[in-house]
Amino acid sequence: MKINGVAIEDTFAEAFTMRVARLVITGRTAKWAREAATKLTGFATSVIGCKCEAGIERELTPAETPDGRPGVSVLFLTMDKESLPQQLIVRIGQTVLTCPTTACFDGLPDVPDRLAVGKALRVFGDGFQASKVIGGKRYWRLPVMEGEFLVEETFGMLKGVGGGNFLILAGDADAALAAAEAAVDAMTNLTGVILPFPGGVVRSGSKVGSKRYRKMVATTNDPFDPTLRAITESRLPEGVNSALEIVLDGTDGPAIEAAMRAGIRAACRSGVHTITAANFGGKLGPHHFHLRKILA
Amino acid sequence: MSDAVTLTLAVRPAHALVADCIAADRFAGLDAKEIAGLPVMHGGRPGRLGDFFKVEGGRSRVVRVDGDLTRLEAIGAGMAGGELTIDGSVGCDVGVGMSGGRIDVHGDAGDNAGGARPGAARGMTGGEIIVRGNVGDEAGARMRRGLVVVTGDAGRGTGTGMIAGTVVVFGKTEPGTGRFLKRGSIVAFEPMERPATFRYACTYRPPHVALLLRYLRAHAAVPVADRHVAGRYERYSGDLAEIGKGEILQWAGE
Repeated sequence: MKINGVAIEDTFAEAFTMRVARLVITGRTAKWAREAATKLTGFATSVIGCKCEAGIERELTPAETPDGRPGVSVLFLTMDKESLPQQLIVRIGQTVLTCPTTACFDGLPDVPDRLAVGKALRVFGDGFQASKVIGGKRYWRLPVMEGEFLVEETFGMLKGVGGGNFLILAGDADAALAAAEAAVDAMTNLTGVILPFPGGVVRSGSKVGSKRYRKMVATTNDPFDPTLRAITESRLPEGVNSALEIVLDGTDGPAIEAAMRAGIRAACRSGVHTITAANFGGKLGPHHFHLRKILA
Repeated sequence: MSDAVTLTLAVRPAHALVADCIAADRFAGLDAKEIAGLPVMHGGRPGRLGDFFKVEGGRSRVVRVDGDLTRLEAIGAGMAGGELTIDGSVGCDVGVGMSGGRIDVHGDAGDNAGGARPGAARGMTGGEIIVRGNVGDEAGARMRRGLVVVTGDAGRGTGTGMIAGTVVVFGKTEPGTGRFLKRGSIVAFEPMERPATFRYACTYRPPHVALLLRYLRAHAAVPVADRHVAGRYERYSGDLAEIGKGEILQWAGE
């Protein structure tokens, strides 16, 4: 299978079940909503080192937010349901509570599984906090030096999907980067999907474990490292001198599939040799995204 | 089960008619005949709801009451759920001790709307009362949780002794508003006379007020102006003769 002359390898991306929350952060201006969201989702690329994966899903117009201000929707994922509220409490407390003008709302209101996030954050108010029930939902008002921080008492938690991916194998690093940027542009602002890595792109795709260091959980994906072609069992086709990976997390499989379809199509451009995907033989993750099936 | 229960006033009461049997959640399990048989007090004498009202429909939590209801008292008392729409002005004690659902009055309401029963420590413990007109004295008195919205003017002692909850008054309020407030919020769009036991805190944009007003506009069709949603409010803490955790939020312009 080829798209624009780019080979689509007959393989699949293997993804995991993660727990996901959606946060809606609003601010006096879009800038301040964005500032909080950027900090909240900073250092949240991979659960391997960050304990969570998070990213901006899309920007919201004032008409789309609960308080009528510009906002940002964020997806936040962890591997298990215990660590999701812990990570949310720590991160919202340090990045959204601290950010001028912002308020923080739940973006999964109809989900029955609830995390007591605002309920834990309220104690920052040192007894001066107050709650309000509006339309059946409880909000906490925390007095802060600027005025008040409003945070919803509970946030919904869903079973999401983490680790959807595809690899762009290109003739040189410039072509790989241009294709990755085009793919990210095509996947930006899609509902239910985030790209947790810097600019949506990973250059240091990893394999599980290590050949040499016993305690390392993940090490360089040497079959795809062009500089190691001569000394490892390389999986890079001839003519490929650089590879980049796009990793996708989302609320459900169909959202990941739709984003992968848009992203891969955009990445199939001149200078790109092959699109492939990372998997672990299909035994670790329950979600398999077959590239050719998605693009058919 | 019908879509809604409609009560139409057929016989105008000569005296005060205490109809605390009218509550949306209670009608969910009753047919028209059973509803007509519910007890009322007319001028201190017992009667039946059907003596005064034509009842249509049954077994529904959506209830509509039509007619000149100014002599009706305690409609929606202790209501715990459902929707009760009152098409016209109503007498005193509407929604006293209510705990859930919504009462929507398309007219004026008398004294003690959303208030407490005599001697009760608590008034409303949940739900929403929207009065699209004026209310008498002591609306929302001793409220523990819930929302009372008055699009017109409110009388004396509005929100008196509130434990928590919210009262929003679009028009004028008479003196005594917020007296003995423990917690809770009184939001006022017009200048008002505050008890001396309230102290000015700051002028700011309270985020929960914007959220509440947008909710009222979207889910209750209350005509809220943008200047009130986006506006600044003066915050007065009180009642400082109580625990002082309550507030009067007075609109202070855009």
